[in-house]
Amino acid sequence: MTKQKKINNEVIDRTSFVPDPYAINWWLTLSIVVIVAAILLLSPPLVIFAITEVMIFALYASALNLLLSYSGMVSFGHAVYFGLGAYGLALTITHFGWSIPVGITAGPIVSAIFGMLYGALAVQLTRIYAAMLTLACAEVTFAIAFQWFDVTGGDSGISGHVPAMLGLEPDHFALVVLLVVTGSILALWRVVHSPLGLTIRAVGQNAERASALGRGRKRIQLMAFTISAFFSGVAGTLFGIFHGNVFPDYMGILITVDGLVMVILGGLYSFGAGIYGAIIYKILDNLVAHYFDYWQFVIGVILIVVVVVSPSGIAGLIQRVGRALKRGHQ
Amino acid sequence: MSCDAHTVALLVRGLNKAFGRFVALDDVDLTVAQGEIRAVIGPNGAGKTTLINVLSGQIVADRGVVEVSGRRIYRQYPHQLAKLGVGRTHQISSTFRRMTVYDNMLFAHNSESDHWWSLRASRLGTMRNAVMADLEAIQLADIADQVVDDISHGDRKRLEFGMVLAAKPAVLLLDEPTAGMGLRERHELIDLVLNEVHQRQLTLLFVEHDIDVVFRAAEYITVMSLGGVFAEGTPDEIANNERVQDIYLGGRRN
Repeated sequence: MTKQKKINNEVIDRTSFVPDPYAINWWLTLSIVVIVAAILLLSPPLVIFAITEVMIFALYASALNLLLSYSGMVSFGHAVYFGLGAYGLALTITHFGWSIPVGITAGPIVSAIFGMLYGALAVQLTRIYAAMLTLACAEVTFAIAFQWFDVTGGDSGISGHVPAMLGLEPDHFALVVLLVVTGSILALWRVVHSPLGLTIRAVGQNAERASALGRGRKRIQLMAFTISAFFSGVAGTLFGIFHGNVFPDYMGILITVDGLVMVILGGLYSFGAGIYGAIIYKILDNLVAHYFDYWQFVIGVILIVVVVVSPSGIAGLIQRVGRALKRGHQ
Repeated sequence: MSCDAHTVALLVRGLNKAFGRFVALDDVDLTVAQGEIRAVIGPNGAGKTTLINVLSGQIVADRGVVEVSGRRIYRQYPHQLAKLGVGRTHQISSTFRRMTVYDNMLFAHNSESDHWWSLRASRLGTMRNAVMADLEAIQLADIADQVVDDISHGDRKRLEFGMVLAAKPAVLLLDEPTAGMGLRERHELIDLVLNEVHQRQLTLLFVEHDIDVVFRAAEYITVMSLGGVFAEGTPDEIANNERVQDIYLGGRRN
């Protein structure tokens, strides 16, 4: 009898001591939004443009991070879903004559549909083979955008379908981006920390065990891939509105590599990888390109140093510094 | 051998599996009654793990019939067999290494729920007491918040077993449940397994190299050799079978 009681107490104690790691930290979110908004309102246009781009890429990299860190998949063609957002926006307006708000909604949906199709192919294989399939799908899509001149405008892309930044002031448009990106990243947080997210993480870490416990790999990975494509599409749509145009390069290999580098810089297996990575990468990109002719070489060297010094990226570095400080206090 | 369809948990007839030229399973017949505790022993390469892999859907056999609780199995995926009530553990414990012990068990519970795809984090909170109770049962509640990578080998095996139990299996397939454990740990784990098997009235088929564990736990023993069933019987029958002594037990049991 006493033993039973003790067990019950322990159950309750432990649960009350562990803070809920799954809850959204609203205060942190609100502070970040307010601080970024204040910076945006006080900055000159050039800085505002840079911050807008960082925010858009933070969302894109976070969407890619859902795959890399959690679902156990690698995509070597994720720019396609980014670019398809911008193409979805442009094509629905120019070819179907849809209104701008409908076109904006269509962008991410087009990305999600293609994510579902290509993802369904990719999950038939695993590891590097699946990744190569994502690359192949991306190359095909890129080639179509590049060569189907009548529809996509080929190399010269599409422009004029939507006024750049919707005709808003730079700081006002940046505030819109801030809200959309924040909302999307919170949605990704909810995905990762929900029952579905637990399933995705489990499948990503050990598909064999998850399967033996009743959850097959393919369906779960396809869900993760589609969600990731959707939010990449949100980022791409924002990018298309930002510049008021779309080019095949939006779904080119460079943007794919940008995303991968951001996540690795930011630190695999942490939710913030995409955000940290996008900030650092874009700062480096701007600074280094300013002072060196061979800026891609310099960024390559920096990436190697980061991977060697802190394989868990910036997120890992922050965690380690935090732990060291805590130890210093005791 | 009076087994009508209702009481047979596992029925295997003429099971064959070859990997290239290597014959892993050679016309295996096996009948395990419901609630029976069956050990499968035999030298390395006898086909024991292949048998478990076929029964749990990891490998598709070349020929033969497998029925689980009267249901014919044909090319089902592991997760479909899991839903039919087959639970298995692996020789090298298979867990989610970057997650906490708690989240591992939480996943097992979540998989069982109808809302495993939900986006509402609060659904995970409602499972908390059940998860902790299960961790308590396998004596891992104290290290619930540790990452599985950091816990001991024995604890990982225990956790894997606990997760499989949480999936509410009818038939348990354990592939060397005590491999790599210390003597005391080994017997503690077997006590735990037997306790749960009796309480939940499960059918247990386990592969084991430790002869002491086998003779303590098993009601029936199947001896495999070169992919086929070499001998079958109660522990006493097997212990007194001279052919088995020759090929397998050798000098170990005088």
